[in-house]
Amino acid sequence: MLSFTLKRIAQLIPVFIGATLLVYFLVFATPGDPIAALSGGKPMTPATEAALRAQYNLDQPFWIQYGLYLKNLVTFDLGMSFSGQPVADLLGRAFPVTARLAILALLIEGVFGIIFGVIAGMRKGKFFDSTILVASLIVIAVPTFVLGFVLQFVIGVKLEWAKPTVSGAATWSELILPAMVLGLVSLAYVIRLTRTSVIENKSADYVRTATAKGLSRNRVVRVHVLRNSLIPVVTFLGADLGSLMGGAIVTEGIFNVPGVGNLLYRAILKGETPTVVAVVGVLVIVFVLANLIVDMLYALLDPRIRYA
Amino acid sequence: MPENQNFNSEAGLPVNRRAGKVSKYKMEHYVAPLDETPLQAVDSVKETGKPLSMWAEAWRSLRKQPLFIISAILILAVIIVAAFPQWFTSQDPTYCALENSNEPGREGHIMGFNLQGCDIYSRVIYGTRASLLVGIFTTLIVIIVGGTIGALAGFYGGWIDTILARLGDIFFALPLILGAIIVMQLPAFRENKSVWTVIITLAIFGWPQLARITRGAVIEARNADFVKASRSLGLSKFKSLVKHVLPNSLAPIIVVATVNLGVYIVAEATLSFLGVGLPPEIMSWGNDIASAQTQLRNNPMMLMWPALFLSVTVLSFIMLGDAVRDALDPKARKGA
Repeated sequence: MLSFTLKRIAQLIPVFIGATLLVYFLVFATPGDPIAALSGGKPMTPATEAALRAQYNLDQPFWIQYGLYLKNLVTFDLGMSFSGQPVADLLGRAFPVTARLAILALLIEGVFGIIFGVIAGMRKGKFFDSTILVASLIVIAVPTFVLGFVLQFVIGVKLEWAKPTVSGAATWSELILPAMVLGLVSLAYVIRLTRTSVIENKSADYVRTATAKGLSRNRVVRVHVLRNSLIPVVTFLGADLGSLMGGAIVTEGIFNVPGVGNLLYRAILKGETPTVVAVVGVLVIVFVLANLIVDMLYALLDPRIRYA
Repeated sequence: MPENQNFNSEAGLPVNRRAGKVSKYKMEHYVAPLDETPLQAVDSVKETGKPLSMWAEAWRSLRKQPLFIISAILILAVIIVAAFPQWFTSQDPTYCALENSNEPGREGHIMGFNLQGCDIYSRVIYGTRASLLVGIFTTLIVIIVGGTIGALAGFYGGWIDTILARLGDIFFALPLILGAIIVMQLPAFRENKSVWTVIITLAIFGWPQLARITRGAVIEARNADFVKASRSLGLSKFKSLVKHVLPNSLAPIIVVATVNLGVYIVAEATLSFLGVGLPPEIMSWGNDIASAQTQLRNNPMMLMWPALFLSVTVLSFIMLGDAVRDALDPKARKGA
């Protein structure tokens, strides 16, 4: 188990370097002189300009810039944003907000997705099943930002059940509505995945044995059907954590959540390389770690799987 | 034959299931009585006809599926609208009069007007083309690039597989929308914003998924007996890949590509909504929804109509993918 974990963490390194290099290169190639943008279009003395360029290493060729960036990264120095704030501070403020948002979304997805999926799967072809199937298809087909606007308008503005936008503090309760929007599409996938998996497993031999030896239906469903149906669902949820944090760009924009997505979106438009690369790097790490955790959960769910 | 029926029926109740098990055991020794298939029936089978291929059989079961018929009709309708928008409206979508700003629907303008006083219905009709082009061409490029890379990686294995898997990992770790925003900021893309830049951007981040699926399908088909047979009969490695492996791994690729076509249409709308997708002068559902967001309180219909058209289109591609999957998967067909 330990060597497996270490091997997987070692695999993280090339993915991390590759992804940051790719993003660094893309942002490097983006036009617009960040220094000119910094001065707000006002003329600058050549000396000031040269000093600023040297400060952000903008006078160096691409490979040196990226090398210097990696070198600083090892000492946990993420560089400075063009407005003079350390990127680590910006990230430190935005990351917990998005993490809260993504965890809430993941909870909504996991809990409701699995419950609805199991009920639909156990009653295949019945009314509840058909309704859930149609509803999940519709949710998948409607773009997230349309869902976001409609829910914000109906729940936030018309019904006033929740605040339509999030304050700077971004507390858990404020984030429930954005998390619902963020998790809704994946919720539909989780329901469909659980349903398929349950249908496959409910006619398995061990389920019949469990029923035959007189276990209650509740126990058969919970312990025998559900546990065996969870592997594809857990895989999906793990991979989804990464995309939820990346997909938060749209949701955070709609609900004005001061999270990573907002930070990233503004940094991309400004061409602020250190911020963009740092945020993407963190997202990549979250993505790979989430997948690692999923691989370890496999062994818990299915004792037949062992990691040597 | 009662046992025979039990064997075919899907096990529902425990009693049935037990009976099914018993008859399954008997089936191994089961010899059909002579009178079961009348001789005329045997004679009437055309022997000259080719046996049905997997595709012909899938088509036969598809034709009977209401889900397939509905989605196929909807998709056909969307394609016709995209190709000939002038057949469906006599209005000029670019003719906008501010006196009509946010007016509700009236005779000849059933969906009303947007903030600029343009006819919403004709804009939705003319906006179909951009969205559909993005969906279709992104899917085509992703199939060609991702399919080729995935097939080579799966079939040849070794170092090609390792490199492609790592490359795929890197792209996989970047979410589609996030990567697309960054690429759309590149000078070559930002200065030539068009349908094509959006297509290429989405394809850059869309191919790893299809490459993975192709790779898995090709590995499965590579080890099949008929491929080994073709190799031992002297067919070159590449020829057996093209002639035998690829045709037999097409099913999952087609299913995923169909569903993803809808996903790309949504992605285009999302990019346009974020202001980095199609330029505003191109009429598209995404652009119209984006410009409607500020008017949501005054004129919700301005958002609802393009969103409805977009969702129905995406929904029909997802349903088509579902129907095709059911038809191509014999296991699912038997269970139905």
